[in-house]
Amino acid sequence: MSVKRPSIGSLAKLLWVGWAYLFLLAPMIVVIGSSLDGTKAYTGVVFPPHDLTLQWYKQIPATHFRALGLSLGLALSVAFGACLLGIPAALAMVRGTLPGKSFFLAFFRAPMQIPAVVTGVAFLRLYYVVGDATGLFLNATFAGLYLGHLFVATPYVIGTVVAVLQRFNLRLEEAAFSMGASPWRTFRRVTLPTIMPGVHAGALYAFMVSFSDVPIAMFLTAPGFVTYPVELFFGIETDFSPSVLASASLVILLALVALLLVQRVIGLDTVVHTRR
Amino acid sequence: MNIRWDYLLIPAFVVSFVLLAASQLTFLRGSLSTDLGLGMLSPTIGTANYETLFTDEFYLRSLWLTIKVSAIATICTLVMSFPVAYVIARMRSRWAMVMLAGVVVSSFVTIVIKVYGLIVIFSAEGGLNALLMSIGLLDKPYTIIGNVPGVVVGLMQFTMGFGVLLLYGVVRTIPVSLEEAATIHGASRARVFWRVVLPLSLPGVIVGSLMMFNLCMGAFTSASLLGGGRVFTLPVLIQRSVIIETKYGMGATLAAVLLVSVIIINLVSVFLVKRLRAARLVIA
Repeated sequence: MSVKRPSIGSLAKLLWVGWAYLFLLAPMIVVIGSSLDGTKAYTGVVFPPHDLTLQWYKQIPATHFRALGLSLGLALSVAFGACLLGIPAALAMVRGTLPGKSFFLAFFRAPMQIPAVVTGVAFLRLYYVVGDATGLFLNATFAGLYLGHLFVATPYVIGTVVAVLQRFNLRLEEAAFSMGASPWRTFRRVTLPTIMPGVHAGALYAFMVSFSDVPIAMFLTAPGFVTYPVELFFGIETDFSPSVLASASLVILLALVALLLVQRVIGLDTVVHTRR
Repeated sequence: MNIRWDYLLIPAFVVSFVLLAASQLTFLRGSLSTDLGLGMLSPTIGTANYETLFTDEFYLRSLWLTIKVSAIATICTLVMSFPVAYVIARMRSRWAMVMLAGVVVSSFVTIVIKVYGLIVIFSAEGGLNALLMSIGLLDKPYTIIGNVPGVVVGLMQFTMGFGVLLLYGVVRTIPVSLEEAATIHGASRARVFWRVVLPLSLPGVIVGSLMMFNLCMGAFTSASLLGGGRVFTLPVLIQRSVIIETKYGMGATLAAVLLVSVIIINLVSVFLVKRLRAARLVIA
């Protein structure tokens, strides 16, 4: 352990880290601050706020709540679906005897490497072609949006579960098995609990990918059926009013609540440490 | 244990493969059709879109701008996040969790909200400009809205939370004992960094940078909103041609060029890292 001695180096480090945090957090603080401003209602936004008010929170457009509901439902079901597909795939790749494991690992990373706009355009094009052929148009439907997000979210679950499994001690399973536990019981009582941190982390990433995505949802939504980030994206061009900032502030607070929940239920360190 | 784990791969592989192959093939096929207006595509195949793209300087400049802006944003994010990741990874107090929480919250919140914040901060009549002008640092308001620095700052906001978490993971894999050993043998702080920390984290840093670069190449929120309709990166052009002009063919062609550029850049980087490794410039 090194001896603590304040030096120019540590001061520079402190300043640098402080500056980085200011950069990282200032936009969100400013959004919350200016949503509380009660003056100059018509000339746009003011920071720091002058007269504190909550009036903008009462004027949040109903479309924002609808979009937020869609985004939350979508992100939750995408996270669930990604786990359903990702956990078995990760088990198969680490445990299985399949040749070409590195090919499959690379294959499942592909959706993360395709630029998000390209994924959006490609899925839109696919839905048009499928629609022309079968009469079933998936663009601007929940199913269409869901498939697009599932495609990019599943690799995150696979990645984190594979990372946890590679550190997993096979002997534990062998022990349970040799003591007479059935394969299913072994899986449920031994394997599943140990890979849970990876599942939690992966599900959280999948949720975040879906919940904050703009480039894919942009192409797969339509007026009247939009996710929250896309609604905000168009809001910036049409009505940059404090009520939009108020709605954005609510979402920031929601993120804080989610963070506390994650810390309580899973523990932040598990989430961060199982990143591959 | 004689469980056939292999079968478990089937559902994920089938879903991913079908989605990947179908979406990529249909859009690449679409990129070979010319636009007939009103969102209609010609039934014949031709390279007309690609010819337009590679002969029009506007598109080529846009491709170069996309790569440049993404690379600058990646490097800036890297330089800014590495010390933060290092400090958190080496902290022994409970503050480490609080600092990590700040980073995670930032990556929870969609980039559109952060762009709102940036617009408020840098708006010409905003608080920052008023402050800088009152202390005489500026004589006229400075804004990043509608220019390239603005887009870079937006992209940095987009990737930084992710970057810090990623680099944090990289630093955690380096045993502290190595740094302590170097210090005991008389290496200065700077020397420990350059000779121990940096070489050991380089492979992880390169992989992380590529991921950040890929994120930037596919992002159009920052470029579209902070570019103020004046900074045309490829993702912005793709969104415009598909959503506003309903030129699906040209949009698909632009997307194909973006995709191929990203693949080439990734392959070249992986190749370069392998060469570096072979020359023992990188320990991995």
